[in-house]
Amino acid sequence: MKTNLFAKPGIAVCLLAMAWITRAADVPAIVGEENAILTDAPNVPSPITRTYATKVIVHLEVKEVTKQLADGVEYTFWTFGGNVPGKFIRIRQGDEVEFHLANSPDSKMPHNIDLHAVSGPGGGTAASFTAPGHESQFTFRALNAGLYVYHCATAPVGMHIANGMYGLILVQPTNGLPPVDKEFYVMQGEFYTAGKFGDPGLQPFDMDKAIDERPPYVVFNGAVGALSGSNALTARVGEKIRFFIGNGGPNLVSSFHVIGNIFDTVYQDGGTTPIHDVQTTLIPAGGAAIAEFSPKVPGDYAFVDHSIFRAFNKGASGALKVSGEANLAIFSGKQSDTIFKGDASANSVAAKTIEPAKAAVAASAKNFSADAKPTSSSGMESGKSVYMRTCFICHQQNGQGVPNQIPPLAGSDFLVNNKDEVIRIVIQGRQGEVTVNGKTYNGVMIPQGNLNDEQIANVLTYVRNSWGNHADAVTAAEVSGARKTVATTTTANNFE
Amino acid sequence: MITKSLIITVVLLSLPLGIAAAGETNLVCRSCCMAELPATRFTDKSLYQVQSAWTTDGQKEINLGALAGRPQIVLMFFSRCTTACPVLVNDLRKIESALPAETRQKIGFTLVSFDSEHDTAPVLAEYRKEWNLPGNWTLLTGAADDVRELAALLGIQYKETAGGQFAHSNVITLLNAEGEIVFQQGGLDQDIGPMVQRIEQQLK
Amino acid sequence: MMKLPAPWNLVFVLTLLFSATDFSRAVTNGEIPGMVLIPAGVYRPLFKSKSEPAKIAVKSFYLDIEPVSNRDYLEFVRTNPRWRRSHVARIFADESYLKNWADDLDPGRDAPADAPVVNVSWFAAKAYAQWKHKRLPVIAEWEIAANASATNPDGEKDPQFKAEVLKWYSESGATEFLPLGRGEKNFYGVRDLHGLIWEWVADFNSAILSGDSRDGGVDAKFFCGGGAQSAQNVDDYPAFMRFAFRGSLKADYCIHNLGFRCAKDL
Repeated sequence: MKTNLFAKPGIAVCLLAMAWITRAADVPAIVGEENAILTDAPNVPSPITRTYATKVIVHLEVKEVTKQLADGVEYTFWTFGGNVPGKFIRIRQGDEVEFHLANSPDSKMPHNIDLHAVSGPGGGTAASFTAPGHESQFTFRALNAGLYVYHCATAPVGMHIANGMYGLILVQPTNGLPPVDKEFYVMQGEFYTAGKFGDPGLQPFDMDKAIDERPPYVVFNGAVGALSGSNALTARVGEKIRFFIGNGGPNLVSSFHVIGNIFDTVYQDGGTTPIHDVQTTLIPAGGAAIAEFSPKVPGDYAFVDHSIFRAFNKGASGALKVSGEANLAIFSGKQSDTIFKGDASANSVAAKTIEPAKAAVAASAKNFSADAKPTSSSGMESGKSVYMRTCFICHQQNGQGVPNQIPPLAGSDFLVNNKDEVIRIVIQGRQGEVTVNGKTYNGVMIPQGNLNDEQIANVLTYVRNSWGNHADAVTAAEVSGARKTVATTTTANNFE
Repeated sequence: MITKSLIITVVLLSLPLGIAAAGETNLVCRSCCMAELPATRFTDKSLYQVQSAWTTDGQKEINLGALAGRPQIVLMFFSRCTTACPVLVNDLRKIESALPAETRQKIGFTLVSFDSEHDTAPVLAEYRKEWNLPGNWTLLTGAADDVRELAALLGIQYKETAGGQFAHSNVITLLNAEGEIVFQQGGLDQDIGPMVQRIEQQLK
Repeated sequence: MMKLPAPWNLVFVLTLLFSATDFSRAVTNGEIPGMVLIPAGVYRPLFKSKSEPAKIAVKSFYLDIEPVSNRDYLEFVRTNPRWRRSHVARIFADESYLKNWADDLDPGRDAPADAPVVNVSWFAAKAYAQWKHKRLPVIAEWEIAANASATNPDGEKDPQFKAEVLKWYSESGATEFLPLGRGEKNFYGVRDLHGLIWEWVADFNSAILSGDSRDGGVDAKFFCGGGAQSAQNVDDYPAFMRFAFRGSLKADYCIHNLGFRCAKDL
């Protein structure tokens, strides 16, 4: 009541404008009303089956919350509904939306909402500008079908978005979207923390990094690992899957890609015209896309921002676990692995490489002394935390690695027997052949420059004492010592 | 020594007295000294609860409560405005002429100036003449502080800009006979239908 | 200005001439307990427009060293019953008025005596200031005082200070307050301008949200695009946030982290 009496002039103007559109455009009559069902990512409200336009009442509450951004890293998020991304809103083209934006009484900031699905000044910003402990209400007609971003646009708008204030609203076309088996809600956004990737504790927003567009984090659904490990999405072979993908930005454009799948259909930019057979779809900041595919063979499928350092070093990856029957006609898996040296005589060289490695395993098993126990359990805990932030993306959740690509850490002779070398590898990276458990891998591990001595000591102690490994603890002093030799070597190399 | 202490005593006395004297010069009491007054006769939502003092273009000192008893259409403006205010005053006149003659006599129009410095009572009297405003139109000027307070009550935003001009929101407010906000219309040259309808409802 | 009867005026003038004792020096030097003198300065409004000067001269004024505390405010409501929680007219303060107090005359556990008073409306803050024979500072005054770091009247030049200020704005809106008087004093001797609460200013409603009479159409300063285009310093995020916060207010709003301090003319 009070809100109406004190209606800002902007609201009055906006309503009058809407009234005019109602008369001018050929919009359907409104039948009845209902409350919108909103969902948190990765869930999506069920498809709308009604065949008429109605009045949809949306209640959305802005909350400022401190939550996990990565393992051991916290951030104060500003959210639409308590999570990043904000609640998924699903309406039907032609619906009249009565939008209530509440700002929690505990909020520090005023907030508003700009829905890209709105035809009207500011997308509702002035009409929804709300102080802490207040609620604004405005109404709009959903004239255009499509998948739209919504976000806060209160000054400084960049900071409000950077803190997580974005979500998706789907305006379902009047004739609906083709039926699928599963729908998921994924939204990318980057975070500008004062600390580097992985720096523990509550991280404040860093304005300079935001202006320079240098985010330590690029993530899906508001946190590193929000969609991997036990949070991975699941499906079965042959199911039709639809991703509603948004990009909140605030700065970066996403090159969205599901590794090992081809999108059968993409509604580019969240529009209504489908295109087919797409590998990577570009999602602008403040934009969205609908992508559909159907996994043909079981396995873990990672989805990434294919600006690939973001996936490996900043968190922009998630996983879809697909179960079901293998189909060798579509994908065989590895059928052979032979050494290729450019000429046929190479095989004998390979045999040499493998044999001494086996001998080394046997030798080290004898030499392993039982009195070298790993450090305290807190060291193991923090090592695990580092692993889940930094290493698991390649070496996988349980250290199993990736066949033929990334060597396993689980039950690894190399890891247990070459303490000094593994310390050096973590510090300076490694390129070229390495033999683990008799198999040769030829890849690249990048230097983990963001880890300090203690973190490296902890994570190595953790991996050397997990998944069937038993070895003595690695100490920060050892890492520190290794750093010096690494530095010397590097310097020496430079002079050669 | 003696002289000094005498002066100190005198100063101590002079401060409160000076303030009391200042209070007396205002014919109408201000909110700071209203603390012990009994509850006002206005409703909880009435704007007329404010204690501010205003001067009409006829040099009369009034509280806003003097406007009670009939619905008032209130506009904040300033006389030197050459853009929005003339349109808004014209909107008020359009509203007035859309009402039947007998209704017109049962309501009031109140213009309150943003420009405390320039819009003195004589300036407003001149404005009345220029616009040929009838007797049930009240033109008010007041202290800058009180203007700010009234604007706050009406939800009007404004600020003084260069050259004695004011940037302000364009809002016409209907107060009922009790001084409660019943309806507000934003913008310039709007459809006056809803406002006229609300006024007629007030007189039923 | 105070109007003094002629004989008292004379005495007043004499006192100024014979300012030999501590008390009279206090009067002439303008020392007011709990307040400091902020020298005249220049305020650069966050937003510039055709009609507005890029710099506003601000006269010297007094400012409270600290925000008004629950203890101070209790004294006010004791002597001004109409501002007690159960008495206040709804038009002057919304339902959240003093909601963290236990009772009309008992701030209670959630409102420690030393903590800043919050959940007060602009009308209430203004009435308090008048009762103290003071007033609320205007935006230009508040911003000048708040722009000073501990060592420099122009905190703009101090990246450390800017980062500290921004930090509070990016923390969540906790409702527990540290007692007043602990914050570091800034260059002028004022404290707790940042990092504790938002503060009411006299002209909080001077930002034109829409329907500006002369700048043409909707003023989108608070939102996308517009904000950056007309702002004088697009890096000053805290200033944007204060600007937005003030713009979201109405004079009857009472908010859990919004309090005030008073100013006074020389």
